[in-house]
Amino acid sequence: MTKDEKSSLQSAGSALKYLVLVGGAFLMVFPFVWMTIASLMTAGEIQMRPPVWLPASPQFSNYSELARSIPIGRLYFNSLFTSGIIVLGVLLSSSLAGFAFAKYRFPGRELLFYLILATMMIPFFVTLIPVFFIVRQLGWIDTYQGLVVPGLTSAYGIFLMRQFMVTVPDELIDAARIDGASEPMIYWRIVIPLVKPALATLGTFTFIGAWNNFLWPLLVLNSRELFTLPLGINSLRSLYADNTNLLMAGTAVAVVPMLLLFVFLQRYFIKGIALTGLKG
Amino acid sequence: MSSPAIKSSWWMPDIPKSAVLRRRMLWAYVFVAAPIIALLVFLAGPILFSGWVSLHRWDMLSPVGDMPWRGLQNYVFLLTRDTVFIKALGNTFLFAIGGVGANTILGLGFALLLNSKIRGRAVWRVLYFMPVITAPLALAVMFSFIFDRNYGVVNNVITALGLPRQPFLSGPNQALMTLIFIAIYQYVGYYIVIFLAGLQGIPQDYYDAAQVDGAGNWQEFRFITLPLLRPVMLFVVVTNTIGALQVFDLVFATTGGAPANSSMTVVLHMYNTAFKFSRMGRASAMAFILFAIIMLITILQVRLLRDRTYQD
Repeated sequence: MTKDEKSSLQSAGSALKYLVLVGGAFLMVFPFVWMTIASLMTAGEIQMRPPVWLPASPQFSNYSELARSIPIGRLYFNSLFTSGIIVLGVLLSSSLAGFAFAKYRFPGRELLFYLILATMMIPFFVTLIPVFFIVRQLGWIDTYQGLVVPGLTSAYGIFLMRQFMVTVPDELIDAARIDGASEPMIYWRIVIPLVKPALATLGTFTFIGAWNNFLWPLLVLNSRELFTLPLGINSLRSLYADNTNLLMAGTAVAVVPMLLLFVFLQRYFIKGIALTGLKG
Repeated sequence: MSSPAIKSSWWMPDIPKSAVLRRRMLWAYVFVAAPIIALLVFLAGPILFSGWVSLHRWDMLSPVGDMPWRGLQNYVFLLTRDTVFIKALGNTFLFAIGGVGANTILGLGFALLLNSKIRGRAVWRVLYFMPVITAPLALAVMFSFIFDRNYGVVNNVITALGLPRQPFLSGPNQALMTLIFIAIYQYVGYYIVIFLAGLQGIPQDYYDAAQVDGAGNWQEFRFITLPLLRPVMLFVVVTNTIGALQVFDLVFATTGGAPANSSMTVVLHMYNTAFKFSRMGRASAMAFILFAIIMLITILQVRLLRDRTYQD
C-alpha cells in the first residue's frame, strides 16, 4: 500500500466514524425536536394526510392554552420543593451516618453496616406496599410529607459517603480534637468540606431520581395542587387524548428546562457518573 | 479502612473505659440514629412485613391482625395459574435480555468511537446523554406519539417510502420490541459514559507495548481492552439487568401492558394487582418472586463476569 492509499483509507475510516456518530446523535435528539415541532402545530396539522413536517405558522398559542388548563408554575414548585427537601435529607443523613461508620468505633458498628449493605440491594417494588401502608396509617396520603419522608434516607448514600470519608486522614480529625473542636464541629468544618465533590454527585443523582420519580407520587398524591411534573404530564394524557399538539407542549414545558440545565452543568454531571458508577 | 477495626465482634460489645472515648462513641450513635431508624422503618421493616403479607390474603383495609393465612398458596397460584403473571415474567425477561444486550454492545461500541481520535467529544457525550436525565414518563409520552399507528412520525416516514403502516406499540407482535427500542434509547448514553470512563482508565503503556510486539487493532481489543474492562462490563450488565427487570413507568404510560398483555411486565402487573384489585398478598408474593429472580441472576452474572485472573 502506498502512503496515499493508506491516508485515504484512514480518512475514509474517520469519515465513517463521524457518520456513525452523527447518525446516533440524530436519533438521540430527534424525538425532542419532533416533540417541539409537534407542540407548535395545529391539531389538524398533526392528523394531516399526507403528513406535514413543519407547521404552516408556529402555534405559540398552544402554550398559552396549556398554561390556562394546567398550573405549570405550581407543578414546577411542587417538583422543586419536594426534590429539594429529599436532596437535603439524603445529603444530611448519608453524610452523618457515613461519617460515623468511617471514623468512629462503637459497639454494633459492623452489624449496622451489614444492615446498610443488605438494604442497599432491596429494589423499591418489594417495599412499595408496606411503605404505602405505613404512610397511610400515618395519615400522610395526599401530603408533601407522604411524598418526601420515605425518601429522606438512602442506604446507597450512606455507603457512598462512608467510602469517601474513610479516605479523610485521621490525623486531621485528631488535630482538630486537640484544638478543642467538638465532634459535630469536626463533621461540619473538617469532613464536609473535604467530601464536597462526593456530596455534589450524590445530590445530583438524588435530585434527578426524585425529580423524575413517578410511581411513588402516583400512589401518594391525589389532589392536583400537590402534583409534581411527571404526574402533571400523566394527567395530560387523558386530558389531551385528542390534542397531541397540546400534550407535546406540556411535555416540552416539563422536559426542556431540565435539559438546558443539564447542558450547562454537563461537565460536573458526567464526572460524577464516572466517579460513582465505578465506585458503587 | 484507616481506623482499626474493632477487635471484639458485634455480639460482644466492647465499651471503652475512658470517658473521652465514651463521649465520642455516644456522638457516633447520635450521628447514625436518625438514618438507621429511617432505614428500619422504610426499608428493613417493610421487607419483613411484605414477606409476611405474601403468606396471607389482604386488601389493606382489614386490620393487619385479621389477615387470613394462605401459606404458600399465593406463590403456587402465581407460578401455576396466573397466566398474566407468567406472561409478564416472560416479557420482562425478553425486555431485559434485549435491552441489556443492545446497551452493552452499543454502549461499548460508541465508547470506543468516542475514545479514539475524535473532535468534540464533550458535545457528543452531551447529545447521547440527554435521554438519561429525562423523566421516563415524559419519554413514554413522547414515544407514544412518535410510534403512533396513525399520526406517528415513524409511520409518516415509512408510508412516504411506500411501505405498509406498522402498529408498533399497538401491535401484539411489535409492542414489546418497541418498548425495548425506547429503553435502549433511554439508557445507552449512560452506558457510553461508563464505558468511556473505563476505557480512559486503561494505561496507554499497554497499547504501546502491544504495538511494539506488532499487535493489530483487533488483537489489542481482544487481549487488552476487553479483559481490562471486565469490572466495568460487570457493573454495566448487572445494574442494567436489575433496572430493566423493574421497568414500570415506560410501560405504564405507553401500552399499559396491552395489547392482550403482550407487553405486560411484572412490576406493572404487581401494581395492578395491589392498587387496582387490592390483592396485597398476591402482589407481595409477586414482588418476592421477582426479587429472588433478580438476586439469582445477579449472583450468576457476578460469577460469570468477575475477574478470574487469580483462578485461571
